Amino acid sequence: MRKRNLFIVLTGLTLSFPFMGMSQTWDVPADQKEVVAPFKFTPGIQKQGEQIYSKNCHSCHGNPGKNDWAKLTPPPGDLSAVKAQQQTDGEWFYKITTGKAPMPEFRNVLSEDERWWVVAFLRSFNPGYIQPEPVAKKVFTGRVVTLNLTFDSTQKQVIVKAYDMLQDKRKAPAAGVEVELLVKRYFGNLTMGSPVTTNTQGIAKFTFPGDLPAQRDGFSELVARVLDPKGLMQTTPDTLRIAAGKSNDQPSLLETRAWWSVRSKAPVWIILTYTLSVLIVWGFIIYILLSMVKIYKSGKLK
Amino acid sequence: MAEKDFTLEKITGDLTHHIRLNKGFLAWMGFLTISLLVCLYAYSLQLKNGLGVAGIRDYVSWGMYLSNFVFFVASSLIGMLISAFLGLIGMKWITPLTRIAETIAVAFAAVAGLVIVSDMGRPERLANVFIYARFQSPILWDVTVITTYFVLSLLLLFLPMIADLAIIQRKVTTLPAWLRTVYKVLSLNYRDTPEQNRIIHRSIRILLILIIPAALSIHTVTSWLFAVTSRAGWDSTIFGPYFVSGAFVAGTAAVILAMFFFRKNYKLSDYLTDLHFNNMGKVLATVSLVYLYFNLNEFLVPGYKLKRADAVHLHELLAGKDALLFWFVQIGGLLLPILFMLFRRFRKPVPITIIAVAVLIAAWFKRYLIVIPTQEHPFLPIQHIPENFLHYTPTLTETLISIAPFLLVLIIITLILKFFPVIPLQETAKEKGVEPFIFD
Repeated sequence: MRKRNLFIVLTGLTLSFPFMGMSQTWDVPADQKEVVAPFKFTPGIQKQGEQIYSKNCHSCHGNPGKNDWAKLTPPPGDLSAVKAQQQTDGEWFYKITTGKAPMPEFRNVLSEDERWWVVAFLRSFNPGYIQPEPVAKKVFTGRVVTLNLTFDSTQKQVIVKAYDMLQDKRKAPAAGVEVELLVKRYFGNLTMGSPVTTNTQGIAKFTFPGDLPAQRDGFSELVARVLDPKGLMQTTPDTLRIAAGKSNDQPSLLETRAWWSVRSKAPVWIILTYTLSVLIVWGFIIYILLSMVKIYKSGKLK
Repeated sequence: MAEKDFTLEKITGDLTHHIRLNKGFLAWMGFLTISLLVCLYAYSLQLKNGLGVAGIRDYVSWGMYLSNFVFFVASSLIGMLISAFLGLIGMKWITPLTRIAETIAVAFAAVAGLVIVSDMGRPERLANVFIYARFQSPILWDVTVITTYFVLSLLLLFLPMIADLAIIQRKVTTLPAWLRTVYKVLSLNYRDTPEQNRIIHRSIRILLILIIPAALSIHTVTSWLFAVTSRAGWDSTIFGPYFVSGAFVAGTAAVILAMFFFRKNYKLSDYLTDLHFNNMGKVLATVSLVYLYFNLNEFLVPGYKLKRADAVHLHELLAGKDALLFWFVQIGGLLLPILFMLFRRFRKPVPITIIAVAVLIAAWFKRYLIVIPTQEHPFLPIQHIPENFLHYTPTLTETLISIAPFLLVLIIITLILKFFPVIPLQETAKEKGVEPFIFD
């Protein structure tokens, strides 16, 4: 008897194994479940949420209510379904924020407000939904720093001034702030030298290298931003377009004939090699076909 | 002087007696046709539901279909090796093998193009390959050279057969009238006149020379489809000769297999003798040694430098997930066959055929190992993707679709070598020194 029971248990376990991945629960910490949105879910907000949803969520979750989600394991599921709608706003917000493979995290992709817009949009499919009273975000009490970029064209120096924004909306020079300077490139931004810490007047100076290639129009676009890896400050970067840098008169990679270009810009030698080879070989083939006609004709009995 | 026992009647009888509709042939064709229909049903599922029915996904997007394609192009190269290369350097013993080799070349080259279509999600857009062709793209070169090679091989199969067709039309009186008309049309009024022979001889010479660069091109360009990328395992300057030498191995094995089958079933042991198997064994040993040499280069040199991507790739092949298959292919398909073939007794018909089967199976899996493992290690970091993107597992539907080209090749070979003499008639008669055929 015992052996038989063991067998049944083992069989049951084996059969359920493939489904284990699906039934795994997604636990949300209790305090996160209680989090509520900082604003009311108005139709306008829901409309904004729809746009965010269609760009970031639709490809896997499909159209809510249409059951047309992507065929993935575990299935993404329909978010307008009862089971999905039973979750609290906080649970949804947490899941969107942190993700759980294969669902990506949206922490660095969508702002907090944008994540709440998506929650708002999804609630529009639930007629019985009553939104909990919104709780406004706590006012930030840390340091608020803005940057101001200027360029001294005679000294070839980029000057970054940092200001502390005080409670009474006055500005004061911000000392001891680590600032980095970047220049826009075709893909991403290039860091210029090392970060500089502002002096007591809130000033950080960078030398602009004269041999740095400028954009096609002769301008360079600079970005200054505060380095704040611990996230203790609220900072605003600044950008500046300056007529500096080595002028770039190189032709575009797509202007001349090249391997990587379209057919009309194929290198002449490739066109010639290809066409000549095809013509020569097929010329012989046609010659042989004509020879076969000749064999046929010369064999006719007179 | 005529060789002992060979007469014109015997040669004609031996080499044409298989041209008839017997039960065995009909049963075999019926089996092939039904199997092909099953595979075509699988393809109809793919047409309806998309490439998702196959195991290929975003990372491994070239699966069995592309391994198949490389294998088919490889096998078709044998026509050039036997007829052109060995023929032009004056090897006389190849005469009875030329038609088998050319038939294999024609069949595999014809089907190779179809194999590519099975990998297309939107096959109805095939024409766009030509309409929007770029001269810079190896894909255009590949399509061009495969088409050209197919036509050259077809001509090289047909031209030496013209005389045989004229003989069949006159001598094989048991055939139905309509079939004799077909032979009459195809024989192009051949009457053994000096002018006709001169034209045929010159045309064959031209073809034999043209087919060498064409054959080298088809497999070199196929290898470039891989080698022009910077992926680990494909980023290699010797991929062209590596593919070409591997192709000769696969093709020679295919010819040996066909020789064995036709010798037994068409009772051709007077023409496909132990000498031919012995010599083909030597050819297979030689091309295998060349291939072994390229394999050594292909794995030892990146293995010595061990750049990071190469290290991951080589580890998976030599000691990781693909190790079992890799060592089966290298030892069972290359090292052991070479060792055995060094001994004369293993170059007798039965042992060499067994070796050829092992080599041919290993040759298919070799293509699988060239195409798939590289794609399982993409350069871009893999994040937040479904599990089935990471590892490639062929599906049943995909397997059936991959079997279809083999059935097609068998159908083509069966039909050609059923209705035309397997062994060149006129040439054999000339070599045996019997009196010439009289063409009225």
